[in-house]
Order: sequence, then C-alpha cells, then structure tokens
Amino acid sequence: MTWKERQHSFRLSDRHNAALTGTVFDIQRFSVHDGNGIRTLVFLKGCPLHCMWCQNPESMSPKPELMRLPHLCIGCGKCIEKCPENVFSIDSEGAFIVERGKCTYCGECVAHCYAGAMTIVGRYMTVDEVMEEVERDRHFYETSGGGVTFSGGEPTMQAEFLLECLCEAHRRGLHTAIETCAMVRSDVFEKILDHTDLVLTDIKHMDSAQHKRLTGAPNELVLRNISNAAAMGKKLRIRVPLIPGCNDSVENIEATAKFVSSLGSNVESLDILPYHRLGESKWEQLDRTYPLHGIEPNAKDTVLAMHEVAQKYVESVTIGG
Amino acid sequence: MTTNPPKLVIPKLCEPTERVSQALERFVNTAPAICAERAVLLTESYKATEGQPIAIRRAKALENVLANMSVFIQEGELIVGNQCSMPRSAPIFPEFSCKWVEEELDRLEKRTADVFLISEETKEKLRSAFTYWDGRTTNEIAAALMPPESLEAHNDVVYTVGNYFYNGVGHISPDYSKVLNEGLSSVIESAESAIKELDFADADAQNKRRFLESVVIANNAVIAFAERFAKVAEEQAASCEGTRKDELLEIARICRKVPAQPADTLQEALQAFWFVHLVVQIESNGHSISPMRFDQYMNPFLQEGSTSVERAQEMLDMLWVKFAELNKVRDEASTMAFAGYPMFMNLIVGGQQRDGSDATNAMSFLVLQASANTKLYAPSLSIRIHEGTPDVLYKRAAEVSRLGLGYPAYYNDRVIIPALLARGLSREDARDYGIIGCVEPQVGGKTEGWHDAAFFNMSKVVELCLNDGVDRRTGKQIGPKSGKLEDFTSFDEVMQSYEAQTSYFVKLMAAADNAVDMTHGKHCPLPFLSGLVEDCIGRGMSLQEGGAIYNFTGPQGVGVANAGDSLAAIKKLVFEEKLITVKELQDALHSNFEGQEDLRLMLVNRAPKYGNDNDFADAVAKDAADIYCNEVNRYTNPRGGKFQPGLYPASANVPLGSVVTATPDGRMAWSPLADGVSPISGYDSCGPTASVLSVAKLDHEIASNGTLLNQKFHPSALAGDNGLENLKAVTETYFQNGGFHVQYNVISRETLELAQEKPEDYKGLVVRVAGYSAFFTALDKSLQDDIIARTEQTF
Repeated sequence: MTWKERQHSFRLSDRHNAALTGTVFDIQRFSVHDGNGIRTLVFLKGCPLHCMWCQNPESMSPKPELMRLPHLCIGCGKCIEKCPENVFSIDSEGAFIVERGKCTYCGECVAHCYAGAMTIVGRYMTVDEVMEEVERDRHFYETSGGGVTFSGGEPTMQAEFLLECLCEAHRRGLHTAIETCAMVRSDVFEKILDHTDLVLTDIKHMDSAQHKRLTGAPNELVLRNISNAAAMGKKLRIRVPLIPGCNDSVENIEATAKFVSSLGSNVESLDILPYHRLGESKWEQLDRTYPLHGIEPNAKDTVLAMHEVAQKYVESVTIGG
Repeated sequence: MTTNPPKLVIPKLCEPTERVSQALERFVNTAPAICAERAVLLTESYKATEGQPIAIRRAKALENVLANMSVFIQEGELIVGNQCSMPRSAPIFPEFSCKWVEEELDRLEKRTADVFLISEETKEKLRSAFTYWDGRTTNEIAAALMPPESLEAHNDVVYTVGNYFYNGVGHISPDYSKVLNEGLSSVIESAESAIKELDFADADAQNKRRFLESVVIANNAVIAFAERFAKVAEEQAASCEGTRKDELLEIARICRKVPAQPADTLQEALQAFWFVHLVVQIESNGHSISPMRFDQYMNPFLQEGSTSVERAQEMLDMLWVKFAELNKVRDEASTMAFAGYPMFMNLIVGGQQRDGSDATNAMSFLVLQASANTKLYAPSLSIRIHEGTPDVLYKRAAEVSRLGLGYPAYYNDRVIIPALLARGLSREDARDYGIIGCVEPQVGGKTEGWHDAAFFNMSKVVELCLNDGVDRRTGKQIGPKSGKLEDFTSFDEVMQSYEAQTSYFVKLMAAADNAVDMTHGKHCPLPFLSGLVEDCIGRGMSLQEGGAIYNFTGPQGVGVANAGDSLAAIKKLVFEEKLITVKELQDALHSNFEGQEDLRLMLVNRAPKYGNDNDFADAVAKDAADIYCNEVNRYTNPRGGKFQPGLYPASANVPLGSVVTATPDGRMAWSPLADGVSPISGYDSCGPTASVLSVAKLDHEIASNGTLLNQKFHPSALAGDNGLENLKAVTETYFQNGGFHVQYNVISRETLELAQEKPEDYKGLVVRVAGYSAFFTALDKSLQDDIIARTEQTF
C-alpha cells in the first residue's frame, strides 16, 4: 500500500500490527530542501514544544487527530450519516459542528469522504511499512546523493521507532538525516545521532526565558544537545525561523550566529527561514486558535539585514535554506 | 568503441551581440501575415505544364517559385534567405488543400490563436489561384480514395489523419552533410549519370528518367535561387560603407559558391545549410523539417579554424532568428492541435557517434548557447543522453532547461537505439539517430518516417468500448458491437471490448493513412527533397513513392493516462472493491456526473491513478498502451515500410478531449485529455519522482515513433547547484528505468497567470507545449489553461 492509499482509511488497530509501530503523519517524496540531494521526508507525529508559529499544528499531539478541510467538502453529508457517535452536525445557522470529544477514531467518516475533506491525521505504521515507501525512490537517492529525512513534529518524541527506522535505513545503505528541535534527553539523542548522517536543527531563541515564552520550554537542553552533536563530529545545518516580533532582534540573531560559530566546522550552514503564514489555515481545521494571527512577514530588507549580521560570524548563511 | 576519444575543448560562452539583440527585437515586433506569392507562382506553372509527367511539373513549379518570388536581405543579417515576401509570413500550398483557406480567409485575422494578418489584395490573388485547384488537391483525391468508414471515423475524431490529409508530409531530415561536403552539383551529377545508365528496355525506365530529370531541374533552380541573393547583396553593398559593405560582399561571394559547391568556412556551411532547409520548406508544405545532428555536421567547419568563437556564436544566433522566421498557416481546427506557430524543427546535440563513442563537441555547446541567447521557440532544441555523456554537457543542458523555455528536450540513447535496431536499422544508423518534430527518432538523410501519421483517440475508444460501439456524442453506431458497461460481468470482458474497438479503429486508421500516402506518391512527389534522401536517386523513385532506405508510418496514441485510469477505476472500484455497480457507473457517465459529484470524487480519489508510482494503475495503463501499440504494429504502408506506434499528442490532447463524453477516470465530458504519456494534470500528487517512475513502467521501446513526458517544476525546486544536480538526477533515473523522452517546463504558475492577464507584457514568454515550445500569448485560452493546470512540482 502506498502512503497515498493509506489515506483512504484509518484503523486504530493498526497500532498493534507489530511489536513496534510509529505514528506517521505524512511522507513526502522529492523533497529537495531538507538535506542533500533528492530525499523522502517522513514526518513523525508529536512534539514536546508548542511554538506559537507552528506551521504543522497537526503534528503537535502524539495521537491521531480529526481534521476537516472545509475547502474540499462538497456537502454530501456522508460523514454525518456514517458516524456512529454523532460527532458531526449542522447547527441552525448552517455551520458545521465537530464534537471532537465524542470521536472514537473508528475511521468511518474518512472511509466515506471521497472528497478527502474529512481526514484523520496520523497513521500507525511499522518500520517495514515506512521503509517500503522510502525504498520507492532509492534510485533517485543514488543518482542525486540523497536519502531519507525523518522530521516531525519532533521525530525524537518517538525515539525507539525513530532509532529503529534509522538503523534499518543504514542497514539498507541509505543516507539518513533528522530534522529535530533537539529537545530530548541527551543520552537518547546521542544514540539517535549514531545512526544519523546529517542533523537539521533550529534555534528559536538564544534567551532561555524568551524561548520558554515562545515554545513552552527553556533552551538549555537544546543548546547542549546541539553542542554535543557538533562535538561528536556530526554534520549540522542550523536554521533560525525568523518570526516578526518574537526572535527577529539584531541581538538575538547575533547571539545565535556567535553560538553557531562556536560549534566549529561541522556546521554546513546557518539558514534563516523567513516567516510565512501558510500553516495558519491548519490551526482552524483543527478548531484551534492561531496565536500569531495577523502578524505580517518581515520586509525583505529586514531579512537581508539579519543575513548580514549573521555573516559576520558564520561563513555560510542562506536565506530560505 | 574508440579507446582514445579526441579531447573535448569547451568553447567560451558568448552573450548575444548588439546585432543579435536588434534582430530579436525586430522579430518579436513583426506580426505574422499571409503571403500569396508561392500560391500564385505555383498555380501559374501548373497551368503551363498540363499533361506533362507529374515529377516534371513539380520541379518546374518549384523552379518558377524560386525564380520569381521576392528575395531580400534584412539589416545586419549574416545568413540570408527568406521564405516569403515578408519575414514571419506564411506561404500557401494550394496543391495540398485550399478549400479551408478560402473558407477561413476572412477569419485568419480574427481567430483566437495563431493569428495571421492578410490584405484584401492577397485574398483576391488567392481566391483567383484557388479556382484552378477545385478537385485537384491531394486532400480531395485522398478523400475520394479513402474507405468511407475510415473517413467517417476521422470525422468523428476517433482518430485524425488531418496532418498529411491537408498538408505536405514534412517530418524529414535531408542529408545536410552531403550538401555541405559535396554541394548540390554532386546531386545533379549523380542524377545525370543515373539517367545515362538507365536500361530503356526496363518498363519502369521512363518513370525513373522523369524523376531523375526532375531532380536535376529542382537542384539547378536552387542554385539559381542562391545567386539571386548574391545579386541582392551586391546591390545593397553598392549603397553601403564600412564593415557592412564587406559583409554584404562576403555574402554575395558565398551565395555564388554554395549550395552548388562544397563549403569551406563556417559561414559558407551555415549558408549552404540554410538554403537547403529553406527550400525544403518552400517545396514541401510540411512541418517538422528537422536539422537533427547539427553539431555533428557543423563542427568540422568550426574546427577549420578561420572563424573565431565570438563570430561563430553570433552567426548561430542570427541563424536561430532565421529559424523562427519560418512560418506555416494551418486551418483553425488544426491550430488547436498545433498551437503557437510551431514548425517543429528539431535540432539535437550530443549522443553517440556511428562507432558508439561520445559525440559531444565544441559545436554542441555553441548550439545550447544560441538557444539560451535567443530564447525563441525555434529551433526545437534536443539533447541525446547516453552512458558516456560528459557531465559538463549534461549540466549545461540543465542550466538551459532552468531558463524556463521548455528545452532542451532529453532523449535516452539506451532505449532509442535498441528500439530502432528492432525496427530494422543497421547498428551504425541506429546510433546516428536524430529527432524529427516532437519526439520521433530516425536516421537523417535515409528515412521517410511519416511520423505524424495520425492521432488516435484512446479515450474515445474507452467510451466506445463501454457503449457497444455507439458514439455517445452523436448517437451513431460507429464501432463494432462489443458490449455495454452494464452487461459486463468481469474486468476481462471490459478489456476484450477495449481491444475489439482498438483493433477495429486502428485498421480504419491504417486504411486512411495509406490512402493519403498513395495520393502523395502519385500526385505530389518532391524532387528537390528526394535528391537529398538516400536512395531515391539510386532507385529512380521519389521519396513519396518509397525511394528512401527506411520507410515508416507513425500514428500516435493520445490519452494513455485517461484510458489507463478509466480502466483501472472500473477494475478496482467496480469489480474488485464493488463500491459501485456497472449500472451506477454507466448512469453517472451518461449524465456527465450530474448531481453525482460524490461518485465522481470516488472515481478520482479512490481509484489508483497512473503517475503516482502505483503498480496497479501503472500496469493497467501499460496494458492499454500495449494493446494500441501491438495493433499498430500489424500494418504496412504503400512505400514498403511498416507502421510503428508513438504515444505523444503535440497539443491534440485538447481537441481530442473535446469529443469525448465523461470517462471513468472522473474526467468531465469534453475536457482535455492528458498529454503524451504524462499523467493526468493534478492526479500525479506524489511528486515528480513517483510520476517519472510510473511513466517509465510503460514499454517505451515498442512505441518507437516516440513517447512524450512533460514534467513541470516550480523554479524553487531547481535553484542553485543542487537544483541542477536534482534535475539531472530525475532525468537520469527516468532514463535508467527505461524512459524515452522528457522535457521540463520551469515557469511558475504565477508568471503564467500574469501573462494570461497582461499578454502585452509577456510577448516574448516561451513555454513548452508538447514536444515543442511556443510563445505563450500566441496560444488559445483553453490551451493556456491546460498548461497552467499541468501539475507544478514544488515541495
């Protein structure tokens, strides 16, 4: 079954298909911005941080989640008709109501929504099932020097599953990368790094208090893990999501760049990722409120200025990664 | 294999000069128009030669046109020779068909795509010339010859043989190399000595003699035509000073030498090339007259050494503008299938030499640069890829692809050479292949490939196979009674019905093609072109009668993805998962999904789709394509050659879709079909890697007349050095897995939408249509929309 076909149904019982299963919320082929060459990106669900600007809010919870894409809905009413728990209804004003608390994740609505508007985010998969999808583009990895990247959410939240996937990928001779916030126990992180060829990580704020305010957690562990990775000789790409009014001060960018320069030559680049609002609609689809609603992306000049600041300390700085 | 290939020296890449920029500016601001000269001069000659053998009449008609048409040299030109009385104008070829021209004369300026200006005076001249042609055109003669069922199926657009039914054949690559190295005088000598050797006791000798005489007349006419340009150059030089005076005197000297005599310098070679290329256009009324392996036959003249790289680049750039100036007017319906003034003049670099070694040379790089410098839609630039292709050429090609012009198109030696061997080419000839028109491989100077013989509407056949052979659009019974969807009890029965309809209509199509083919042989031989294709002189027979070494007829299947996805949906949802019944599906199709969007979306989203690396869908698409290809393989043509299938559409996927009712792939009635072997727009949602892996699962070797994959990328996916590597990796993986051809459209959706809104700001925007590029703003709105809709692969 391809990843695409997996979207046609959802079964809670898939969780017990093997001794070890993971919760995957997306698999994207031909990813060219997250590591070398052409890569397949495997997104694992669940994140210890809750960044205000999160572009994948459906990835925060480690559990599968009901998500409705209203722009795809054709109003056929099948979801209302098929749901045994009466999760869905239409109120007197014609608004579509989802009572999430009632949902037992039986998957009936997903199976009957041919428009693809009603989805459950997250699929339980075995390591072999993930690798089967990853293997489909092996030929491209070999011609382009690419491989597989595990992202999230935060992939280390499913440490055991991630580790098994990375080992299996290495056994199969594939280049591995992880995209991590580095908010994970250091001993666990170290084991994961043993099977990781490239680490893509990000620094949201150099000030721990600010970091806590923006993401829900302080940054000491994050910075320590990143330093350790560099000390272990791992190749690193460090990103800074540039969020207007949150972390885009010259002081913070300067501090970040200084920290990065202290890590030595294993850092391939420092990538400044300008803020965009493409994830906002997903918050609505999950019936949640986007904390940064209404803020404007940085002007191009501001981004360029930050680039200049960072370049004083780090040789390779990119915009947009 | 040679063990020590000569060292490859990569030339300096030069930017366009002021002269080139001016020529480009002039070109973009010249509106295409209609020119009556050829039609008038040809008709005048035909009237004067009534009763003479057709070969002689054709040669004399060409002679009269070349001797009396307007000739001019434009400011700054280095290579000279014009097709019509004005640049970018199109001549008329009344001997092939002219009823449509007469009917559409008043609409040419007003139609939605490929507009041509036309004066009242021109209209009058044409109307008067056309009176002679009533009942005498190849179109009318072929129509009379065709079995009535064949003509009816053509009219119902189950297939269309329109290309050669209304036009000349074109789709040829004359032996340019012979002209450069031996001159037309050698062609004349061969024809004359063949006449001397004729055994007049042979019953065929009279025909052979007339043909050989026609070759002599035509070649002498071309030499005289070149001399007319020498005179114009001298006249202009007389009123000119300085460098331009010297240039014009040099042009005059060259036009007296070539194409009669062998060329020595690069400018002589380019000029000789151009005269041949130009006159073949004037004589034959075909498109896809293809220079093919230009870098191979031109490089020796670059290496000769008297021309600097800068000057060589400038001459090539100026020649590229000349290519774009050639034009052709088509009827309004054909304009839908060949939109954007295309001439499909395919010019290819790289690949292997006849001995199997790598063919890349300095000229290969200058050619790529000329296309990058001029950014025009002509010539159609292609590159051959084999194991030994130097990385530097591959990367340079990827850089040109990234410019967003849609070329070069990439061709896979690893599939095409074996495919040609299987069609009977010698090993050396197969290695020496080039590309004609969109994607059709053949060896130049030896082949009459008839590559664009027809477009076969595979989706219409799906409709017919589900409706007992009844055309749902017209209500007529046009195919065999092979069963109705509601009566089928297994998927095998559906496939049997599909096979029965395909078999029936391919046979009718072959009959239609052969009727047209015989008509060209009997009524429209082309003496000048024939003299430049081996072995017409040896056999004493025109190209149109079978004089070439290799003869083929290549009709194309269109809508592979729609046929495959339709059949896959029936297999999966009706017979395997039983989500819907045959009756429910049939009713939904008949009502064009009226009120059944839910069911339509089930077909779209729940059935596996070709283009997503889904083995189920890909296998059905392959079966659908194979059934078509195997049927085509059964037929032979009147020139002693075989039929060979292709899977590409030009832009016929739009008009062919416009006659097909709703299909089980979820496609609404009358909407466009997928182009070439590409997946349906928007259905390939797993990215380009999945898409090319799917397409590679088809049998590209059997479809030896060519397959076409259009892949669209957002510019951001190809940025930087990594982007070039990734583009190369996608191409390389597709080819290692058995792909035939791929081309890339690297333009953002936003740019195209802006160009649609403000065409005046995007006059020069070139996009890939299918197997060729065109100015986006010259295309009809529906085709523009189709191009925008083709999945843009970003991520």
